[in-house]
Amino acid sequence: MISCRDFISELGNLLDEDVASEIREQLEAHLAHCNTCQVLYDSTRKTLRIVTESGSFEYPEPIAEPLVSKVMDRVRSCEPE
Amino acid sequence: MGFLPEVDDALTADSLTTLKRNFGLAPRIYRAQMIRPDLVDAQVRLLDRLLFSKGALSRMQKEFILLAVSAENNNTYFPALHCQTLQFLGVKPEQSQQVTIDHREASLPESEVVLLDFARKLASNPHSFTELDVESLRKSDFNDEQILEAVLMVGLTQLFNCIQMGLGIEPDFKPRIIFPLKEMNPPDVSERQIPEPEFSGEFVPDDPDFEIVARVRNGETDAFEELVRKHGRRVYRSLLGIVGSREEAEDALQDAFFKAFQHLPHFEGRSRFSTWLVRIAINTGLQRVRSRKEFDRLDEDDEEFRPRNIQAWTETPEDFYSREELRSLVEREVMKLPVKYRVALLLRDLEELSTEEAAAALGLSIPGLKARVLRGRLMLRESMVQYFSKASAGKS
Repeated sequence: MISCRDFISELGNLLDEDVASEIREQLEAHLAHCNTCQVLYDSTRKTLRIVTESGSFEYPEPIAEPLVSKVMDRVRSCEPE
Repeated sequence: MGFLPEVDDALTADSLTTLKRNFGLAPRIYRAQMIRPDLVDAQVRLLDRLLFSKGALSRMQKEFILLAVSAENNNTYFPALHCQTLQFLGVKPEQSQQVTIDHREASLPESEVVLLDFARKLASNPHSFTELDVESLRKSDFNDEQILEAVLMVGLTQLFNCIQMGLGIEPDFKPRIIFPLKEMNPPDVSERQIPEPEFSGEFVPDDPDFEIVARVRNGETDAFEELVRKHGRRVYRSLLGIVGSREEAEDALQDAFFKAFQHLPHFEGRSRFSTWLVRIAINTGLQRVRSRKEFDRLDEDDEEFRPRNIQAWTETPEDFYSREELRSLVEREVMKLPVKYRVALLLRDLEELSTEEAAAALGLSIPGLKARVLRGRLMLRESMVQYFSKASAGKS
């Protein structure tokens, strides 16, 4: 039976769905009886969902084209090394 | 396949059994010496006794010595063969690969790092090897029998590397790493530059920007605009996550693209253009952050992190907040993370780079990158408890 520490060390792979089936079974067996890791797994998974769906750190469309122009002005004013 | 003819079916039954049991096949290095089956038998017996049989060092420690010493010799053949063997023993190829490239970044226990430092030094600098080096192993609690096995494993690897190189034997498997790696195993962590990974062609996917990059390199400056437009969003978001302010991210984006344009003649195409560009953007962002006092060093050791605040969350905690509130609280809390975890998390979870791409962009090993992403996620989760746990959802 794996420990909570083992579970946490594999948590990243579990969240990325990058664990071999035999390890997944062991992790799930651990989750079935460990409430702490269950809450940790559930809340980390939800954190990721919130982060990816929050639209944070977006690139505002109105600034995109002026930035392209500024970069190209600079680029055209010099030649590569 | 090599400088001497391969002779099939000349292996003795004992050798064949030993080789197949451990490698799943009779590797070319042995088949290529079959004009002297007696010498092959002697080598296989030595290999069996020293590496495959139970000894004072663990099998894994001995295999890792073989990888590290082969790397010192720029030997492509043995890492290809033994990474495969290690996979049978449950070691992931990424881990074996990292031990080969740089064991100090392979998340190994300190004593194993000392053991592999010892092995690499004995292999690459035998003339400067002294009793102090042996003492370093004793200090890490290795006993004399283990020290003897370590020295013998270095010697055995040198022998096999020499045989393979001398006979020009080609790998049995497509190698994951092709030497030489210029930045391999730098002496000090603080001297590390973010290197370009150097993998065999099979592992570098076709670069969708190849054609545009070639046009720019051939003097068609205007074609660069297409790259700015295409990658602007990724560069901006990576930078915003590092520098934290929109105005500064806009300035840094211009610097990053300008640097990329200037250095394009040096881009060797060993990683995707987009990975190379993100790496430039990250370095540009970090340079700006470094000038501030709050910068935390990217190469500091990661201490163990123990999650706290274990409180159950509601099923869809985001329902308690408007989209705008969520965006703003995520940005606020992400920006509170130390920069090294923040950057790793942003590349993986916001930019959705693959683990391999993010590791390459940050110059980290895959285990190193995974550790930072997980730490970032756990720290962020902890700071989110105040908004999303059952007890507090919607109250902040």
